[in-house]
Amino acid sequence: MFKKSPIAALAAASLLLIAGGCSATNAGKSEAAKPAAVAAAPVVAAPVAAPAAAAKVDYTKMSAKDLAEYLIFEAEGYDLKQATQEGTNGRARLVQDEIQKACSLMKGQELDDKSREKVMALATASIKYPEGGIKLGDWKKGRELAWSGYGYRTAHNPDDHEKGTPGGNCYNCHQIATDRTGGDIGPSLTGYGKNRGAGEDMLKYTYDVIYNPHAYFACTNMPRMGASGVLSQKQIADVMAYLFDPESPVNK
Amino acid sequence: MSFRKSLLALPAALAVAGVAYASSGMLPEDALDLQIKKTNSSSYLIQSPQNLMMMPDNPAWLVAEAGEVLFKQARGPKNASLEQCDFGKGPGVLEGAHAELPRYFADTGKVMDLDTRLVYCMKTLQGFTNDDPAIKQKHGSKSDMMKLQTYIGSKSSGMPWNPPMNHPLEKAMRDAGEVMFYRRSATMDFSCATCHTQTGKRIRASVLPSVYDPADWTKAISWPSHRTSHEEVRSSQHRVLECLWQMRYPNIKNGSDASIAMISFWTDAGRGEPVIVPDLKR
Ligand code: HEC
Ligand code: HEC
Repeated sequence: MFKKSPIAALAAASLLLIAGGCSATNAGKSEAAKPAAVAAAPVVAAPVAAPAAAAKVDYTKMSAKDLAEYLIFEAEGYDLKQATQEGTNGRARLVQDEIQKACSLMKGQELDDKSREKVMALATASIKYPEGGIKLGDWKKGRELAWSGYGYRTAHNPDDHEKGTPGGNCYNCHQIATDRTGGDIGPSLTGYGKNRGAGEDMLKYTYDVIYNPHAYFACTNMPRMGASGVLSQKQIADVMAYLFDPESPVNK
Repeated sequence: MSFRKSLLALPAALAVAGVAYASSGMLPEDALDLQIKKTNSSSYLIQSPQNLMMMPDNPAWLVAEAGEVLFKQARGPKNASLEQCDFGKGPGVLEGAHAELPRYFADTGKVMDLDTRLVYCMKTLQGFTNDDPAIKQKHGSKSDMMKLQTYIGSKSSGMPWNPPMNHPLEKAMRDAGEVMFYRRSATMDFSCATCHTQTGKRIRASVLPSVYDPADWTKAISWPSHRTSHEEVRSSQHRVLECLWQMRYPNIKNGSDASIAMISFWTDAGRGEPVIVPDLKR
């Protein structure tokens, strides 16, 4: 068991092997603040030196949240330098924005009213509309996009956007047309346009939901396809045509 | 397959009689049968009838068999076998060891999972280094790592998941893993919870296991498993990687504390339910 010390103190002593015999009582902040070097006492014989990462900080002194952040950003867990398709890096993917932070609710946690309002306001403000208003595009193109899960995957097998157009992933979560099997994390969209009509309000609602669904459903599981830049305004118009066009298989 | 029979002394009759999770183990298909009964045939557990039928002939048994040979063979610069490796229950004790991982190891001061502990023993006992193919090659049925992990993992089949939470580091890692499970980020705002906290939901045609249904969840976390769509045996570490890829997260380092925290949380969520290793998955 290595010495319990706060990160700050240990940063200075990070190269020391901190080992047994100093099983610090939890008492006294000042004790804990001493450099770990005082712990030179009996070192437990280990076949190999304790890995430096384990010795650097005392995980047991951190809150679960702080430790999670530490493991993600400091402990060489993720490839933070990995290139992303949007030209940023792995770190940027992992840093949370305000909506992601507010919506990382754990078991039993509920969104409070203030956060809900904030999430919805942020989402509403993020939505940009096409010049000339919301119009339906090409449902065939929209179908391709709705049924594609390609794009922005990185990890061990990065997607190449030169070789494939990033899609909307809609089918992963929605049953859309009946000719193929979709998921059911979200509600069925089968017959969407036929059932709801293509009135102006309906078009705006649908555009908004695809662009940033948190404007209506705070902390929804649905991604923000417009706000995150996955789908362009034109592509959203195509996906909307797939949902609304009477000729689209969605409405057959 | 003779290896299967020799591996698990307990006859299937016991399972049929409804004796739950005998501490001496159970064949994976019998453990899975019990879960199916217990959940009244949950849609997650029975989603692939072909796989259920194929369980006794799981290609992973051949991989486990090869793992046993490797395990007992004197190998590496130190010309030693792995028989003195301590997976937490004492040197050489494999029965039930995987069911109690990840756990804290005093000799490294770290919480380690099957993967990292195995690497540690291959280094310390056998003298392999990170650059040796035996350690470097992490994935695929042909890799030493998967052969060994499948062999070791199979020795816990039918025993209840019981990762210790006595050492403060074990608790800290589990709790950090829980936070990570619910933490949303990247292009699609996904956390693990997006897809794994509702019963019976589907991504496309795949039924998703929920972390809140331990009787289902145990199958989800039972690795190594043969994946029919990959035609390879895969590890826990590989499953983490695959879900992170779907989530648009950057690459995670095999054996990193981040990966072990996640696996600590997910194993704790299956506590008390039987290990089903080797399993067959889509
Ligand atoms: C990760 C899952 C997921 C993906 C991917 C996804 N959605 Fe959704 N979607 C949902 C969920 C969940 C809801 C329900 C909103 C809520 O209550 O949180 C929803 C709601 C909707 C609605 C509103 C439904 C209604 O009844 O008013 C529409 C329209 C919609 N999604 C369209 C799409 C389209 C188009 C795509 C692809 C560009 C898409 N979704 C991708 C999960 C998803
Ligand atoms: C976008 C949805 C999605 C997210 C987010 C997600 N997963 Fe998965 N997960 C899946 C799918 C789909 C499968 C495969 C299920 C199948 O084939 O039956 C799966 C499989 C698994 C399995 C194995 C179950 C099996 O039967 O193969 C585990 C364990 C798991 N995920 C854990 C996680 C963890 C941990 C995270 C967060 C790091 C995560 N998942 C995030 C969709 C997701």
